[in-house]
Amino acid sequence: MRAAGLFAGSIIVAFAVWQFLSTVVFNPFLIPPPLLVFKTMVPMIENGEIFRHVAISLARVAVGFITGCAAAIVLGVMLGRIKLVNDLLDPVIELLRYLSPTAMIPIAVIWFGIGETSKYFLIFWGTFFIVLINTTAGVMRAPVIRQRAAECLGASELQIFLLVVIPSAAPYIVTGMRIAMASSFMSIIPAEILAADSGIGFLLQQSSVLLQTNRIFVALLTICVLGFVSDRLFRIVVDRMLSRYMSYISLT
Amino acid sequence: MGGSVLLAVRNVRKSFGENADRYLALDGINLEISEGEFVCLLGPSGCGKSTLLNILAGFDRASEGSVDFEGAPVRGAGRDRVMFFQDAGAALLPWLSAEENVRFALRVRKVSKAEWPTIIDKVLTMVGLKEHSRKFPSQLSGGMRQRLQIARALAVEPKVLLMDEPFGALDALTRRRMHGFLLEIWQRTGKTIVFVTHDIAEAVTLADRICIMSLGPGSRITEVIPVALPRPRDLADPSAARIFKHVEKLLA
Repeated sequence: MRAAGLFAGSIIVAFAVWQFLSTVVFNPFLIPPPLLVFKTMVPMIENGEIFRHVAISLARVAVGFITGCAAAIVLGVMLGRIKLVNDLLDPVIELLRYLSPTAMIPIAVIWFGIGETSKYFLIFWGTFFIVLINTTAGVMRAPVIRQRAAECLGASELQIFLLVVIPSAAPYIVTGMRIAMASSFMSIIPAEILAADSGIGFLLQQSSVLLQTNRIFVALLTICVLGFVSDRLFRIVVDRMLSRYMSYISLT
Repeated sequence: MGGSVLLAVRNVRKSFGENADRYLALDGINLEISEGEFVCLLGPSGCGKSTLLNILAGFDRASEGSVDFEGAPVRGAGRDRVMFFQDAGAALLPWLSAEENVRFALRVRKVSKAEWPTIIDKVLTMVGLKEHSRKFPSQLSGGMRQRLQIARALAVEPKVLLMDEPFGALDALTRRRMHGFLLEIWQRTGKTIVFVTHDIAEAVTLADRICIMSLGPGSRITEVIPVALPRPRDLADPSAARIFKHVEKLLA
């Protein structure tokens, strides 16, 4: 209750500071005051414009994120478990992971055009390396003692892998997914600014060209809310479904 | 005591690394352990006790010499020789409750499901964790976690318990209680126990025979001391005290 109060207080103070800065310190055209931003937002909500952009951006993030996680978990498990695969691929991964999704935009546009595929690819790219590295680390750090204990109880290789190693790695994988999700929401924006005709990033770009700072702020605010809400939802789902795998981190 | 030979270790040498980095851990270990016997391996830290235990368990292979279990060479770990670790938090599956940890052992042992409830009930009662069957390892005390590890081991009906300083991380009072508890389990089930420790008092309290290992490199069993005293033992008792002093002198 107290935390909720402080949270609300923090937001209210932020809006007050914003209002003050835009009207007293700076030019209201450069920093549109919150009231103006909300006034701009209402018709955009009423005619559904903002939701169209949000839905498109969300769909791109979802496709890229889900495929990226799936591929990264499969490969990451192999990297963590099979030494030869790790020796062969680790150097390449260590180099490629410095190519952020933004750095890949120009080539993605040439490869896939400005359609949906290029955005899927860019989100996939960003998600893949983050989840991959976390999954590999999690699998590698599954305690040897735990695996040996299972082995001498009679567990087969496959049972040790499925019932001991994977659950031991779960907290690492989930943490990687959470970071990757935040990064997806960040990298979808430049992708849409540079190569799209829809989505939140496109809304930003279009408003900038037309010098509509109020609409830019609506888009920025939307990004904040979208990222925050999706992260909270992710945490709730994890708490519901995986809490027994997550809660023991403090123990070991 | 006086049963048939269960584990026979002959001229076991074990070295790690290669060429210049080669480290000779064990140099000619000979040891015969009879069915139902309680043997302590006692020696200073780093003398290769755990290395020897890992070889007995089948986690590691001897560089030279042979280890036979029931007359056949040991090839890998198996549920007839269950290893018991000091770090119970790592050895247990922290995402499973006490009951589920035992169930895991029954599952990998391929016991028919109809028998599970009876066995789970039996072993948890034996270690006094019946009322805590739904708790997770993180909710159990250190001593309770060790008892859960014993329950899980008993569920797969091993012939030998290999214990690697199992009570080393417990406080002195809990350790004493665990000694009484372990002896009771041993007397009731007739298991063979190989118990690694660097604590002289612990060895004199528990063992039928104390095998003293020399400090490495090239550790050997330098002395075997039979402890033919009735249990429970009181270290203040003159005959126990004499053995304690004798062992102390050997290790000095």
